[in-house]
Amino acid sequence: MSSDTIRIAGLRVLYGSFAAVDGLDLAVRGGELFGLIGPNGAGKSTTLRVLTGQRRPSAGAVSVCGYDVVREWAAVKPLFGYVPDRDNHFTEFTGRKNLRFFGRLYGVPDRRADEVLELVELDGSADVPVAGYSLGMRKKLLLARALLHDPPVLYLDEPTANLDPHSAALVRRLLRDRVRAGATVVLTTHDMDEVDAACDRVGIVCRGKLVALDAPAALKQQHTERVVDVVRTDGRREAFAVDTDRGRLGLAELVAAGRAATVHTREFDFRSTFLRLTGQAFE
Amino acid sequence: MRAHILAALLRKEWDRHLANRGGVALGLLLVAAAVLMGALAPDEAAGSVGRVGGAHHCFVEFDAQTPLVAHLARHVPPELAGQVLFRPLADADAVDGLIVYDPGVGAIQVRQPPGGPVRVSVWYPDGDPAALARFEGWFWREARRAFADEARRAGRELPPDPPFGPDETWLVLEAHGRLRDRAGAAVPELAIDRKGLGGAVLDIRAAVATGMVAFALYFACVYLLATLTCEERERGLLLAQALSPASPAEIVAAKALFYPALGGALAAIVAGAYRPAVLADPFFWLSLAAVGGGFLGVGMTVAALARTQRAAFLGAMGYLLAVSLLLLGCTAAGVRWVPYLAVEYHGPRVLHAALTGAVSEDHWGHLLAAAGLAAGWLLLAGWLFRRVRH
Repeated sequence: MSSDTIRIAGLRVLYGSFAAVDGLDLAVRGGELFGLIGPNGAGKSTTLRVLTGQRRPSAGAVSVCGYDVVREWAAVKPLFGYVPDRDNHFTEFTGRKNLRFFGRLYGVPDRRADEVLELVELDGSADVPVAGYSLGMRKKLLLARALLHDPPVLYLDEPTANLDPHSAALVRRLLRDRVRAGATVVLTTHDMDEVDAACDRVGIVCRGKLVALDAPAALKQQHTERVVDVVRTDGRREAFAVDTDRGRLGLAELVAAGRAATVHTREFDFRSTFLRLTGQAFE
Repeated sequence: MRAHILAALLRKEWDRHLANRGGVALGLLLVAAAVLMGALAPDEAAGSVGRVGGAHHCFVEFDAQTPLVAHLARHVPPELAGQVLFRPLADADAVDGLIVYDPGVGAIQVRQPPGGPVRVSVWYPDGDPAALARFEGWFWREARRAFADEARRAGRELPPDPPFGPDETWLVLEAHGRLRDRAGAAVPELAIDRKGLGGAVLDIRAAVATGMVAFALYFACVYLLATLTCEERERGLLLAQALSPASPAEIVAAKALFYPALGGALAAIVAGAYRPAVLADPFFWLSLAAVGGGFLGVGMTVAALARTQRAAFLGAMGYLLAVSLLLLGCTAAGVRWVPYLAVEYHGPRVLHAALTGAVSEDHWGHLLAAAGLAAGWLLLAGWLFRRVRH
């Protein structure tokens, strides 16, 4: 098995004449939590559809754990768990019965359903029909289903949407545990804080192309404006670029003279970075 | 095909139906109706069988458009309007040279070969000689008037018309003889024969049982299969299963096994309640397989084409309505071959024959036709499932 668990080379997906994904190259390493972000229609959901076999690529190659997702689909299927953005449970069944059904398809024993229910803290409502679950509970049940067969790859579409802060933290912890155990996790999200806090690397896609790819910290470093904002004692505001001698000296003089009332460094702002990279508003 | 996956998928289908109280209630109602029908069955040893008496329509069939036929056509009384249907003998539905009538229909045939006697054949539903009484009363009265008018036009003095009863052929012949005595060659000779139509009189219990058996198969194989498959597709449940190790072939196979089994089990319970001996008749099981297979093909075709549960429901119901209208229209218009292309034409015939134990050579032909059509529908459904990707 290659160190890259997921390899996407020259992926192109056409809907008629519209290219939803246009020559995407991407490699996701084993044991990393990878965030795929982008504005609506950027191509991240289409990429996930290709990875989960819902859509055939128009061109390019995609492999998971060394298996081609088109030619060796049967071998790829047991390797991943998938949490879709929309819940798709048998609502007339209880949470436990839902998991036991899917567990039988994966050939795992029924007790595994109880284990994952406990993991996502749904063991207390395991015997309640899913029709009575809240949106957050349904989301957690989706994660439980994806974890049933302990897959080496997890795909998650908006995994913490509709979750309360405690449940969102629980999901992030579970994902981090899976990554520590060697699994590869790919998630798409619109939550910049989640990307910043949870992901090892982030790929930003726009108009079907990858426009940035790096660790969140590196992205911060690359895109944080190295500027210091000063409010002078006379009330005037001034900005100093600390990458230049003139800026550094000017700031030092002002501070040394005691004419600086407040001094602030500009913080990394994922939203504005995103806007700059994609040229689109974040939705 | 992996056994553990098929078992899981089949159990899921069963659990879904158990969780659906409406479906369970409908199944129980069907079984209850069948049991009730069995419990209320009359004692056949006493010869007491439910029958439908009378005839709701009567054909007047003729070999030539003669003044007699024209007179009859002009003098249909209002109470029989719409129930007396005139047609040339050549236009009557015939199978292998034998004219075929639907249940509850009789015929009065008039043949007037040049120079020969007027031959009137009365065909009443078998076992019910008085079924055409209303029609015969009218026919004889008007025929007598027509002949008398003709004789009067020839200048003959005639007595008033005699009263005619429905089953008084001797009186008709006597009256006619006397008429000829007076009128001479102006009145033709008359020959009458009355016969029962071949085939049994409709047994209402057998008809209801046939309807219930066909309904059980149609409900499970077309309605339930199509709507629940599309519901799974619409709610993303089919996707969830397709992303598991279950292959599309296994998912489809589970449905193709479960729904005919469900419909067949319900149908067998209904049939067994009507006549337990039918369960030992291979023709019954072959009929269930052929009709169930045909309905399965229809259901899977609807499921492959419809994207939503609503579309599947409309497809299943629309198909039934369209086929019913087609069969009705073809019967009314005398189109003979088009109905042979419908499983619904052969299905009730073979099921009814199996349920009543009256299987003839014709029914084996219908069975073969139903099996052939079932194979065609299943091939179409398989092709569509491979071609249409949702």
